[in-house]
Amino acid sequence: MALNSDVLEGEDRGQRAPVSVITTRGLTKTYGSIGALESLDMIVPQHSIVGFLGPNGAGKTTAIKLLLGLSRPTSGKATVFGLDTAEDSTAIRSRIGYLAQEPRFYTSMTARETLEFTARFFYRGPKREVKSRINETLDLVGLADKADRPTRGFSGGERQRLGIAQAQVNHPDLLILDEPAAALDPIGRRDVLAVMERLREYTTIFYSTHILDDVQRVSDSVVILDHGRKVADAATTQLLDGGCIYQLTLTGDVMAGSAALQKQPWVTEVVATASNGVHSMSVTVSDQETADSLLLRSILQVDDITVTAFGRKQYDLEEVFLRLVEKQEN
Amino acid sequence: MTTTSATHVELIPVRSSGWRIGLGNLTRKELSLWWATKFWWIQTLIWVVILNGVSTIVMLDSGGMTPDALIDEAVQTFLLVGATAIPIGIVLTLQGSIVGEKELGTAAWVLSKPVSRASFVLSKMLAHFIGFTVTAVLIPSLLFLTAAGFILPEPIELGAFGIAVAVTELAVLFYVVLTLALGCFSRGRGPVAGAGITLILMGQFFKGMLPMTVVMATPWLLGDVAASFPMQELPEFNRVVPMIVVAIETIVLGSLAVWRFNREEF
Repeated sequence: MALNSDVLEGEDRGQRAPVSVITTRGLTKTYGSIGALESLDMIVPQHSIVGFLGPNGAGKTTAIKLLLGLSRPTSGKATVFGLDTAEDSTAIRSRIGYLAQEPRFYTSMTARETLEFTARFFYRGPKREVKSRINETLDLVGLADKADRPTRGFSGGERQRLGIAQAQVNHPDLLILDEPAAALDPIGRRDVLAVMERLREYTTIFYSTHILDDVQRVSDSVVILDHGRKVADAATTQLLDGGCIYQLTLTGDVMAGSAALQKQPWVTEVVATASNGVHSMSVTVSDQETADSLLLRSILQVDDITVTAFGRKQYDLEEVFLRLVEKQEN
Repeated sequence: MTTTSATHVELIPVRSSGWRIGLGNLTRKELSLWWATKFWWIQTLIWVVILNGVSTIVMLDSGGMTPDALIDEAVQTFLLVGATAIPIGIVLTLQGSIVGEKELGTAAWVLSKPVSRASFVLSKMLAHFIGFTVTAVLIPSLLFLTAAGFILPEPIELGAFGIAVAVTELAVLFYVVLTLALGCFSRGRGPVAGAGITLILMGQFFKGMLPMTVVMATPWLLGDVAASFPMQELPEFNRVVPMIVVAIETIVLGSLAVWRFNREEF
């Protein structure tokens, strides 16, 4: 996915489809002399799921609050649906669903009352249809059987589910979720991801998380922050792509195989390792196209060698994340 | 969680805008805190015990007073006890209304919806004014008139008593707005309660010591002004000026509260 500045912004007035939902330009927030967010440039395309990553205190929640108009930028600008977050915050919020990092509700209200209260900010009727929407939402998050219990008795996971329900009761054009799976057990996490994938058809999802596995599973693209600065902004596949490195698992005369590959002009480095009797080879190439067609053939020409696995290296998001954050810190 | 596909129904969107957006829904929620829970009758019980209890004791203990003096004494007791006790009750009850929501995160949650910040503050002012009006002023006043009808030798003049009740309502509005405004400016409940109670108690200690022009710029005289109508005591000027000044101060405090809350960062 190309995250470039040519992407159209907001709802286009003509024939062209709307492309970008969130755009920030030099978005900065400081508290006194402490910089919470430093000149964030970011574009979130419509109908995408964008993971917003970063260690604690990286500025993720600050950025989200700026997008919602809960806080004002020190400098820079953010637009959502083409509207300025500082000027048109209410209009923006009428099309957004938001889940806070630690969702809090009025404890005297039941889950159903909480959703009714939320829905009344968006809809004035008909009562039957609003009620039906609320039942549907309670069912979606698995709270139908606890709908009439006051939220004061809810566990962290139940509050989180109610948070997801209230965030999407208005079928928003944009869902902003701050750590949506943080308080959930593995089954709850799986369900949240399933809901997110299903909602992608109707909405754009921008969410922050610490759970890198989740990001890798559902996100189209990733924005990584560290110490208030953006350190990466790319499609997930692009970020995880090992590029010019190929990995092989093999048996047989590995040294001969390594020597055969090193003779190829498009091979720049071969690293062979062995662990628990399994031989692995990491091959760095200068020409991916040639490597795609010739690498496997070249090694199989060596007698007494069997290749059991072959492919381009895929980084783990955790690996990428740690590498980027550590690089930034150094 | 189930992942069945959502059915789309035709819902009618809310069409309000500007500072009133969300006001109706928020006011309804604030009113439900009073009327959909035990809160309203607990408040009513407290005020009836305090205001009607003390004034009934006065009515029953005539101590050789003339009928007119007894009526004056009962009315004055009811209104002046109310002029001190109700503001204290308001400050203690509402000290956490705004601060608590800021601390707990419910304010940030509500403000992530299409709601104006003015609506958030004004809905609280409106709902709590109505709550205290009914439970601390109207119900005790009706019970006072009923008790007076049975106990006192002569009836109380209803028109003058009605004006006195209206002046008490002005004091209720002032203290509701003041407490909520303090909540908008403060990050803790302590400063809200401290500032509010200090203002009320200063009136008790300094009302007679400070120049009248200063006192007339405060809400301290409202109890005396209210009591003066049934008793026909204070001259016209001294009745009108404190009411106008407090009404203006209430508007200014309300505006400051909204201004400050608009600048709040969550």
